[in-house]
Parts: sequence; C-alpha cells; structure tokens
Amino acid sequence: MNDMRLIDRKTTMNEIKIAAEGVDVFYGESHALKDVSVDIEERTVTAFIGPSGCGKSTFLRCLNRMNDTIPTARVTGRITLDGEDIYAPSVDPVQLRAKVGMVFQKPNPFPKSIYDNVAYGPRIHGLSRNKAELDEIVENSLRRAALWDEAKDRLAEPGTGLSGGQQQRLCIARAVATAPEVLLMDEPCSALDPIATAQVEELIDELRQNFSVVIVTHSMQQAARVSQKTAFFHLGHLVEYDDTDTIFQNPRDTRTESYITGRIG
Amino acid sequence: MTDMTAGAAPVRGTLVADAHTRKRNASEKRFRLYGAIAVSLAVIALVFLLTSIVRNGAGAFMQTYISLDVTLDAAKLDKSGNRNPVEMAKVTTFGYAPLIKDAMASTIAANGIEIEGLDKPEDLISKEASAQMRDVVLANPELVGETRRFEFVADGRIDGYYKGRVTMQSAERDSNVTPAQLRFADALKEAGLLETRFNWNFITWPDASENRPEVSGLGVAILGSFYMMLIVLGLALPIGVAASIYLEEFAPRNRLTDLIEVNISNLAAVPSIVFGILGLAIFINFVGLPQSAPIVGGLVLTLMTLPTIIITTRASLTAVPPSIREAALGVGASKMQTVFHHVLPLAGPGIMTGTIIGLAQALGETAPLLLIGMVAFVREYPSAPPEGFFEPATALPVQVFNWTQRADPAFIERASGAIIVLLVFLFIMNAIAVVLRRRFERRW
Ligand SMILES: Nc1ncnc2c1ncn2[C@@H]1O[C@H](COP(=O)(O)OP(=O)(O)OP(=O)(O)O)[C@@H](O)[C@H]1O
Ligand SMILES: [Mg+2]
Repeated sequence: MNDMRLIDRKTTMNEIKIAAEGVDVFYGESHALKDVSVDIEERTVTAFIGPSGCGKSTFLRCLNRMNDTIPTARVTGRITLDGEDIYAPSVDPVQLRAKVGMVFQKPNPFPKSIYDNVAYGPRIHGLSRNKAELDEIVENSLRRAALWDEAKDRLAEPGTGLSGGQQQRLCIARAVATAPEVLLMDEPCSALDPIATAQVEELIDELRQNFSVVIVTHSMQQAARVSQKTAFFHLGHLVEYDDTDTIFQNPRDTRTESYITGRIG
Repeated sequence: MTDMTAGAAPVRGTLVADAHTRKRNASEKRFRLYGAIAVSLAVIALVFLLTSIVRNGAGAFMQTYISLDVTLDAAKLDKSGNRNPVEMAKVTTFGYAPLIKDAMASTIAANGIEIEGLDKPEDLISKEASAQMRDVVLANPELVGETRRFEFVADGRIDGYYKGRVTMQSAERDSNVTPAQLRFADALKEAGLLETRFNWNFITWPDASENRPEVSGLGVAILGSFYMMLIVLGLALPIGVAASIYLEEFAPRNRLTDLIEVNISNLAAVPSIVFGILGLAIFINFVGLPQSAPIVGGLVLTLMTLPTIIITTRASLTAVPPSIREAALGVGASKMQTVFHHVLPLAGPGIMTGTIIGLAQALGETAPLLLIGMVAFVREYPSAPPEGFFEPATALPVQVFNWTQRADPAFIERASGAIIVLLVFLFIMNAIAVVLRRRFERRW
C-alpha cells in the first residue's frame, strides 16, 4: 500500500481546526453516533472509513450542522471550529456553512445552468465585485473540480443534464467556489471513473495547502492515498483515529484490522 | 420438479407462458378492460352533456333583428324645437312608442304587405326598442326631424319562431303572439327587413326584465365575475402561498401547527354555502360592506379558495426533493434564500396549477353568492375598479340560476347560452393551467 501514496506523509503537528468532544447523535430513539471525539487538524486531509451505516455521514453532517435540517436528529456533545462552539446558541448555522462547505453523497446540482450552479455561492456571499470576477471564480472552481474542459462550452446548459459523475464534480466545484475553510466530502468519488477520481484526489491534495478536508470513503486505497489522518467508525463508535500510516500498517484495534483487510464490513 | 429425471416427462418450456403467468396476464387484461369501460362511460356522459347544452344554448348567440325606417318627428320628440337634450329627456320611452307604430304602418304600406287578421304589428319589436331609440336620439339631438333606419331587436316570440321554439300551432294558444304576426314576420323576412344573425349583445348587454328575454345579456355578470376573480387572485394567491411557505418551511412542527393543518383540510371540505352565511354575517352585517357587491363575493370566494391553494401549494413544496434544499443550505444559503431561490421556482408550476384550479372553482361557485345578494337584478354596469368592486353586480353562475327561474322559455335558452360562456371561460383557464405546467415542467 505504501507505493500507492500520492503524497509524502511527514506529519507535523498542525493546529486543530475542528475539535469534537463526546458527540452523540440520536435520530428519534435510535442512537446513531456514540461518544465520538475527534480533533481535525488544519491543512490536513482526514478520512472517515467504516462499514455502511456506521455513522460516517452522520458525523460529517454534525460538523456543519446539516443535521439541524432533520427534525428528528438530536446532537449532544461539543464541537468547536477554531475554538468556537458551533452549537452555541449565538452561532448562526448559515454563517458556519459558508465556512464549512459540503459535498453530498448523492450529486445534487441545482436545476439551473452549470454557470449558475457554481456562481450561486459566490453570489449570495458577495465574493465577487463584478461579472469578470465571477466568471473567473466559476472557471477556477470548474478547473479545480476537473470539469472545465467538459463544461466550458455548455455553461448555460442545465447542470442536471450532466452525467452522474459530472454532476458530482459540478457539486465539488460549487462547494469550492465559496472558498470554505473546511470542506466536508461524503464519498465524492463513488460515482466517478478512475481518471476523474485521480483529478479529484489531486484537488483534495491541493486544497490541503490552505484548508482542512474531511472525506468519507469506502475505498481503502483512496483513504491511504489522500489522507494524513484516518478515523475508523464501527456501529456508531469511533474505534480508532490516528495517522493514516498507523491505521493501515499498525492498527491497534482488531476491528480496524479486520475491516481494512476486508474481513468485516 | 421431482419427475425431471423421468425421461418421458414433458419438457417444461421456460419461456412459454405457464398457468401462473397466464393468470396474471388475464387479470391485467381485465383491469385494462375496466379502465377502458370507465373512461368510455365518462366520455359518453361528457359528450351527452356538452351536446345538450350546446343544442339548447347555441340559440342564445343568435338574435333576430328587424330594420325599420323611423321618422323622428320633431313635434313628438322636441316640442320646444331648440334641440336641447335636457328638455328632450322629458319625453319618456312611452313618447317614442308611437314612432315605432307609425314606422311599422308605413313599412307595411311601402312593401305592400297584406296579412289577414294582423293586429298590433309593432309587437314584433322588442319593448326595449323605444328605450334604445331614445338613447340614440338623446345622444344625437340633430337627428330629430330626419328619417333614419334603425335595426331593432325582434320580440322574444318572433326570435323563438326562427329558432323553432315558437310555431304556428303554439302561437294559437299563446296570448303574446298570433299566427298573423308570425306570417307578417315571414313577409318582413321576404322583404329583407328581418334577419337572424350572430348576437354579440348577449355577451355585452346587461340583464333585462321578465318579459324582455331578447335583450337580456351577460355583460354585468361577466364583469362581476371578472371583478371577483381579480379579488380572489389578488388576495388568495399571496396569502395562500405565504401561508403555505410558512407552514411548510418555517413553522415548527407542534400541536398548534398540526391543529392548523387539520383545520385547513377541514375548511377545504366545508360546503360553500357555509362560506356564504359567514360572508353575510361578517362582511355585510358586521363590516357593513354593500350587498351584491363584487368585493363581498370576492372575499367570500377568497375564503373558499384559500384552502385549495394552500393544500396544492404545500403539496408542490413537499414535492421539491430535499436534496435541493440541502444543496442550497450546504453552500451557506439562508433558509429564506433556499426557499425563494430554489424551492419556490421549482414549486411554481404546481402553485400556478393549483391557483387556476381554485379560481375555476370559484368562478363556478353559486351558493355563497346567493346568500350575499349577488342574485339581485342589476342593470347598471359596475364602474371600473376599484370603485366597481363596491357597486352591485351579478356573477355568471348566479345569472344562470336566475334565468332558469323565469317563466319565459326564451330564458332557458339564455341560461344554456350563459352556461356555454361559463364553460368556455373554465376551459380557457384550465388550458392556461396545462400550458403553464408544460412550459415550466420541473427538470431535475
Ligand atoms: N435521517 C435519518 N433518520 C433516521 N435515521 C437515520 C437518518 N440518517 C441516518 N440514519 C441512521 O443512522 C445510522 C448512520 O447512518 P449514516 O448515514 O451516517 O451511515 P454511513 O456511515 O454514512 O453509511 P454509508 O456508508 O452507507 O453512507 C444508520 O443506521 C442510519 O439508518
Ligand atoms: Mg453515508
């Protein structure tokens, strides 16, 4: 697995961007996430792995308070962004989500043109002063999401007319366009072919220069390739969280070992 | 399965329909047949309904006219001779009646018509004719003294004669018309002075009294209905959409909103006459708005339409996939931006369809309007909005009801004609709803 590494992983201790302490999530009566504590570092790619239904998406959605939109969901515990409690009553989730962008598990472009999809975030946040600047943001974001070449001649066409993989990259471009400090990606490559996957992974690595990226993935190789830190979830518990190298080569927990070697899942 | 080993066992064709599949296919065929029967029954009923209405009502759009050369005798119309409209207005419609009588006599003489037993030939012309002539003369005083050709609406019985409603036999028994008069009408037709042709007046003229079906029209009713639709659209659409958006997107889910929800559904099922009683009690007796006014009708119909609009709007809001909301929230849009930038545009076609269906319902509603006095006999056109909203008017369905209550069979024809007009309006509205839905079809 070592030779698959895209980047060298000399882990220096980065500052902590997001700190979660004792987070529990309930959907109505069901206890989906149990006592999860994770420190997500600045300028780091953190991978969440684990079998389906173990609560990866649930935890990801806690980090930008997307769970607020589910009436039955209840989150307890403490999550801070740059030391600020994001569940404090004074916090406006709208402002939080502008800083913590998200790419969803299922591609969900707006039923608008490709251009408007990408330009929507910058527009509502006032990130550009004029059309030229906005054009530039759109082009840059589409380039970073590896969609520019396919989309540049059809910017006015509806985003929903793209293929599934293209739609997912459009969603990535849309998330990148708002220049978030943290980007949460829920299985961003599950609908992509190997080439687009490689491009997105490159993008993730590039984003790492300035932002934190949290990526949920079912591909061990991908986790190993792109991330510096890996968290393994199982049945709502955070089983192990460590440097990616350690998780893949020297897991402490037997469950982690069985999962990455393909015995549970 | 066990006999598979036996060599003589019949080979089971795996792709040929077996008993089980045949049963399923048969039940599908039966179901299709039921469906086809149901659709045909509905189509037959519809065709039957439409043909009977069109057969009864088409005549309302035709009208018989009689042309007469009338000498506008100055001695009768303007005794002072100075053509002052104020003074001339003192001559009532009764003063004009003799002119028609004279004109009729001279027409008979000029065309050499001789009809045995002809009495009161002027009765061929509508009683409304002298009033119409008076209006023309007062508007143009310089006409006095001249001889001018007027085209008068024929009396309802004569009109009925050319539409098959009145026959020589029925005229014998009818105190309002004699066979001789009918023969005279035929003679006039021969002379080219009588014709039956398309009748715009049916749509533009106001209602007329019991014994003048030939000059009754839908003008006031159409205007009244139109004003009410304006009020309903102007009130029910914004209130309904705002309420739905609030309930669907912003309101917390609790006992209170559940209660509101249940009550909205209940309101949609409340018989419309109850809304009429409510309107009478609140808008007329309590607020003191005028009776028979489109404003009251519009308010009552708004109350009636609101539940429909709220229910359809909420349905189209829930039909917007949650992933779109998540996407908007995920890039940092506020709740309000999410709703107005993404959800509402997608729900738009559904809202429009619901609104038009609600309006169409309101347009055809009769019972509540009877209670608030819209059934009154109104001959004055209401003026332009907004004052017109407060002036008496009637409404299309009430006019239909009104006409079916009258004795003269000519009014049955008018009522059917009014139904045709009402159906045409409803058809146009529904067509608009379909076109809007097609055009803004959701694309995701
Ligand atoms: N909206 C919801 N309402 C109720 N229960 C939910 C909801 N969303 C998720 N759950 C439950 O919470 C648990 C964790 O789900 P989650 O979506 O976080 O899993 P996941 O790890 O992302 O799985 P996958 O890899 O399949 O995406 C599951 O048991 C799921 O059934
Ligand atoms: Mg998931």
